[in-house]
Amino acid sequence: MRVASVLAVALMALGVAACGSDDGGSSGGGGGGDTIKVGAWFPLSGPVAASGIPQKAGASAYFDQVNAAGGINGKKVKYSTEDNAFDPQQTIQAARKLVGDEKVVAIVSANGTATTAAAFPYVLNQAKVPIINTYGGAGDWYKPPRPGLFGYQALYEEQGAAAGAWAAEDGHKNIVVVRSDPAAFAGVAKYVGPGAKSVDPSVNVTEQVVKFQTSDYGPIVGQLKGKNPDAVVLILAFPEAAAFLKQAKLQGLKVPAYGYAPTADEGLIKLAGDAANGFNAVSLTKPAMDPSPEMEEYRAALKKSAPKEQPSGNSAASFAAAKAFGEVLKTIKGDVSSQSISAAFTKGGTIETGILPPLEYSKDKHLGATQVQRVTVKDGKFVAEGEFITPPPVVK
Amino acid sequence: MSEFWLSLISGISNGAVYGLVGLGLVIIYRSTDVMNFAIGTIALGCMYLALGINAAGIPLALALLAGIAACSLIGVGAREVVIRPLGPGALFSALVVTMGLSLILEEATRGIWGGEPRRFPSLVEGSLTIGGATFTNQRLLVIPVAAVAMLGVAYLFKKTPLGSAMRAVAESHDTATLLGIKPQRVARVAWALGMGLAALGAAMVAPTIGLAIGGFAAILFRSFAGIFLGGLTSMYGAVIGGVIVGVLDNLAATYVSASWRDTFVFSLVILVLLVRPQGLFGEKTFARV
Repeated sequence: MRVASVLAVALMALGVAACGSDDGGSSGGGGGGDTIKVGAWFPLSGPVAASGIPQKAGASAYFDQVNAAGGINGKKVKYSTEDNAFDPQQTIQAARKLVGDEKVVAIVSANGTATTAAAFPYVLNQAKVPIINTYGGAGDWYKPPRPGLFGYQALYEEQGAAAGAWAAEDGHKNIVVVRSDPAAFAGVAKYVGPGAKSVDPSVNVTEQVVKFQTSDYGPIVGQLKGKNPDAVVLILAFPEAAAFLKQAKLQGLKVPAYGYAPTADEGLIKLAGDAANGFNAVSLTKPAMDPSPEMEEYRAALKKSAPKEQPSGNSAASFAAAKAFGEVLKTIKGDVSSQSISAAFTKGGTIETGILPPLEYSKDKHLGATQVQRVTVKDGKFVAEGEFITPPPVVK
Repeated sequence: MSEFWLSLISGISNGAVYGLVGLGLVIIYRSTDVMNFAIGTIALGCMYLALGINAAGIPLALALLAGIAACSLIGVGAREVVIRPLGPGALFSALVVTMGLSLILEEATRGIWGGEPRRFPSLVEGSLTIGGATFTNQRLLVIPVAAVAMLGVAYLFKKTPLGSAMRAVAESHDTATLLGIKPQRVARVAWALGMGLAALGAAMVAPTIGLAIGGFAAILFRSFAGIFLGGLTSMYGAVIGGVIVGVLDNLAATYVSASWRDTFVFSLVILVLLVRPQGLFGEKTFARV
């Protein structure tokens, strides 16, 4: 009898939960009235929270700034965020909450490749809510262009190719790619060699695989010394890249190091200290401490919205991604809906944020830009090396 | 050859940290039957506190002592507030409660100090070259500190009345009560001591890995491996097991595969436990039916 009661209550609870979940099949409706509702998911806990937290801060800072100035076309923007803990299942739950419960009209500046892709069936296909300017992305996201899916950054693979090309341009012949073992890092590391060889076909590129979340890079550096590299390319999370640089300095491994965009974070400099000087990376944005007016605007907005957050590549990228969305939003006359947002992006035109390279969207081009900014650590901060450049065309 | 010394000595240093944390876990477990999953989060949070105290102008050594003391106090407080009300024998509930506590305190730490990783200053500067490999003095300091801590704990347990009382409570709660020992007082001391040791481990490793929310997870994972390898009932085993895990981890990374290091080490731990389920130094227990 007791078991039957428990079972009945459990079934009722399941039923209530099912009824309370999203209605499915309808676009987000939070664009009418005085408020435009948008949302995003970020890893605010777990192993990549160090990236997710500043990204959330950056995007939120933009919308706070916009609202303080009266909103977009007189409408305030409500930016709701959820913690997906870098987990695909939790991302789907976050998506259901944002789209189904909160009725957002777009997902803007969210984080993650595999995690965001997990939400495509529900968000893009079922609810027809656009996903705009995700931090992440894969080749098959934009070729062919998917309805409602728009991006702003060079793919991780292109970043890897750009890092390899830079190392080869600097004359290095024996390059070792140090990468973490998960598939996401392997997929990026795969293009470092082709990127380097597009500059100099005689370059030799090998790999050193490391367990994800390694904190002691002593043995790794010890092994690397035996390989006698001219240069290393680091396809690692930035705390691990910092740990590598510190050990490399300690053990006397004096070779130039290059990294992809996730390593172009001020957190790396904080953790590695002097050992970061001379580190080269390809960044999605101008350096966070760049003296340009647009970067100053970003820093001021971040300071006001999230005083504890320090300027960083991560928050600059998401601020700019949100800013690009805001610029497109300004072109929409009348009701802001999921459909009108997608239509506005496909109308074409160039968006300048001053932080990212110029973004160009159209009906056939949903990836706004593929250029990257070369940056080098000098005197404890990232400094731009020239203007934005296009990675070598080695990524299929 | 320098690769070998690099792997061995940094492995011993890492293992000393696992040993300190493991020792803390075992002391708490033996005295109160609680496997404290929040030990890492509390220790890490107290290192943020120590960093803040140091940034306010207090010398690092004093700031670290304050952090360690805070960790002991918070540990005792947590035990009194959320563990003790569960009553005796609630092993699974206590386990779940400590897991929940860990998540809550992680969020609290993030809320107070922010999510970005931070650099932690070294207690001692400089480096030493041994066998062609270079080590920071901070890294080498961990080894004698862990050794002194272990000897101190051994002395406490073998030569002092308090230690005898703690051993008695670990053997039999009821018999100890009959002998006039106050188990709750012993439990508080055990939590304070265990948490203090974990904070000491965190203080030793923080200059090497920095402070990051969730950054202690890998260390806690290996500390658990160390205590299961060494024996859940043995304090010597906790430390020696931790050192073995640290050394094997590094040797595996160097001579087997850097991406299979965990698999290699934990496979070895499982093999040992299959042959000796009580661990290398643990005692086999029997229950009369």
